[in-house]
Amino acid sequence: MNIVKREMKANAKALIFWCIGVLVMVGAGMGKYAGMNGNGDTINELMSEMPASLQAIMGTASFDLSTAIGFYGLLYVYLIVMATIHAVMLGSNMIAKEERDKTAEFLLVKPISRSTVISMKMVSALVQLLVFNLVTLVSSIIIVERYAGVDETTGTIYLLMIGMFLLQVLFLIMGTAIAVFSNNATKASAVATAILLLLFILSILINLSGNPDLLKYVTPFKYFEAESIINHHQLEPFYVSLTGILIIALTTISYIYYQKKDLNL
Amino acid sequence: MNVIEINHLTKVYGKSRGISDVSFQVKEGEIFGFIGPNGAGKSTTIRLLLSLIYPTSGNATIFGKDVVKYASEIKKEIGYLPSEVFYYDNMKVKDLLKYSASFYKKDCTKRIKELAEIMELDLTKKIDDLSLGNKKKVGIVQGLLHEPKLIILDEPTSGLDPLMQQRFFDLLEKENQKGATILFSSHILSEVQRLCDRVAIIKEGKIVQVEKIRTLKENNYKKFKLETISELDFNYFKVDGVNQLKIVGKTVSFIFKGNINTITEKIANIEIANLWVEEPDLEEIFMHFYQREE
Repeated sequence: MNIVKREMKANAKALIFWCIGVLVMVGAGMGKYAGMNGNGDTINELMSEMPASLQAIMGTASFDLSTAIGFYGLLYVYLIVMATIHAVMLGSNMIAKEERDKTAEFLLVKPISRSTVISMKMVSALVQLLVFNLVTLVSSIIIVERYAGVDETTGTIYLLMIGMFLLQVLFLIMGTAIAVFSNNATKASAVATAILLLLFILSILINLSGNPDLLKYVTPFKYFEAESIINHHQLEPFYVSLTGILIIALTTISYIYYQKKDLNL
Repeated sequence: MNVIEINHLTKVYGKSRGISDVSFQVKEGEIFGFIGPNGAGKSTTIRLLLSLIYPTSGNATIFGKDVVKYASEIKKEIGYLPSEVFYYDNMKVKDLLKYSASFYKKDCTKRIKELAEIMELDLTKKIDDLSLGNKKKVGIVQGLLHEPKLIILDEPTSGLDPLMQQRFFDLLEKENQKGATILFSSHILSEVQRLCDRVAIIKEGKIVQVEKIRTLKENNYKKFKLETISELDFNYFKVDGVNQLKIVGKTVSFIFKGNINTITEKIANIEIANLWVEEPDLEEIFMHFYQREE
């Protein structure tokens, strides 16, 4: 438990800033909606007049932007990007920093196995992801309900946040795996973030081409899209399972490889 | 009983560095010196023992247990001081030591206080603000606070001032008397000579020699350099024990091993303008080992 505590302490400040960031994002984003509220139909008209490619890039797709939840769906993409960047950096950093700062020579000569080290760090990271997610959830519910009036949106927001949490965990473990396999601890975080951005860009390209085919399985950003969650009131079971399988697979190989890894000191 | 047993340990890295076929044993209660120039493979060997890296072939045991298989069990009784100490910057010394202690199922509070007092370490400072020497002290306290049975030190004296070095050596000797075995790696021969019972000499990843320190001490190496008033016959210093004799004009230099009186007598019989007598560095002694091998 000592490692969990240490990790929480080390990351507390960063987590607070991320939470403030996401609060601002939800608050300011929905504030825009308030600004346009009342002439909702004009937004939809405005959006539909934009070229399809621009719509795809902005992720407006088929949201009804005159409703609060529709507008929130537009915002959701950006919340996902924030949450996953936070997760992937957390995941890669918690492993890479011990080699980068050479503290591995401190930590890994203690009477604990490397698996325990990863597990403890993972527990701490999951708590942090949960905090990030809950802050987003609570602020979203409060702010969206203010505009939506009725609480019919709350269920949808829960679903959206579950989707977000699955992606957070997926990217956390993806970051961990990248750091475990990386021989250059200083670059691990950058590589992990770069891969995340590539996957995000890929998801936009898929939106642009309108022809998703096999690529949609490649980028997790296509797994839980606001559009389908809002319209169908459910997470697609296929993608839930796929995410679960990916998480288990990446976790397993990370544990196995870290156990055998020569540390770069 | 052997506390450390290293059998044909080999580590091949992508590049040329690494170690090959290293074997030696450290007995219980011994202070064992591990000496060699920088980059010879001392740290690599130690990291293999601590399973921070894994061997390409060969194996090693500590307390009779395989270092890879029983890594976390063995480490309960190991205290390690790395050559360069790096700690979590934003922590206070006290917090770091507490964190370190939390991994051992012992109450180390008293011991931390004792050690900090001996080493004159301020526990309330932030690690980030410490000088290199003070960071090293943190490392020393951190390595000894759980009263380990095996203490592994990698270049422990770098950054310590002579007074602290003295205290540190006293501390090690006390631990040794209490029963701790010590593996002491260094590139400075004199400190190993002072402290250790036996020594393994490593060069370019291979063990050159394992010998009793008494033997090394008998082989008292001194580096002489002198300036003569008049030019000297080249053969004047060609006596037993003189190695690497060089005469350039009026400057004579050589390494001497043996009874120091024979050489001072020789020097007394000629007129000299200046004289330097120094500890030879390891490289120069290794030259001697190499010559002997050939």
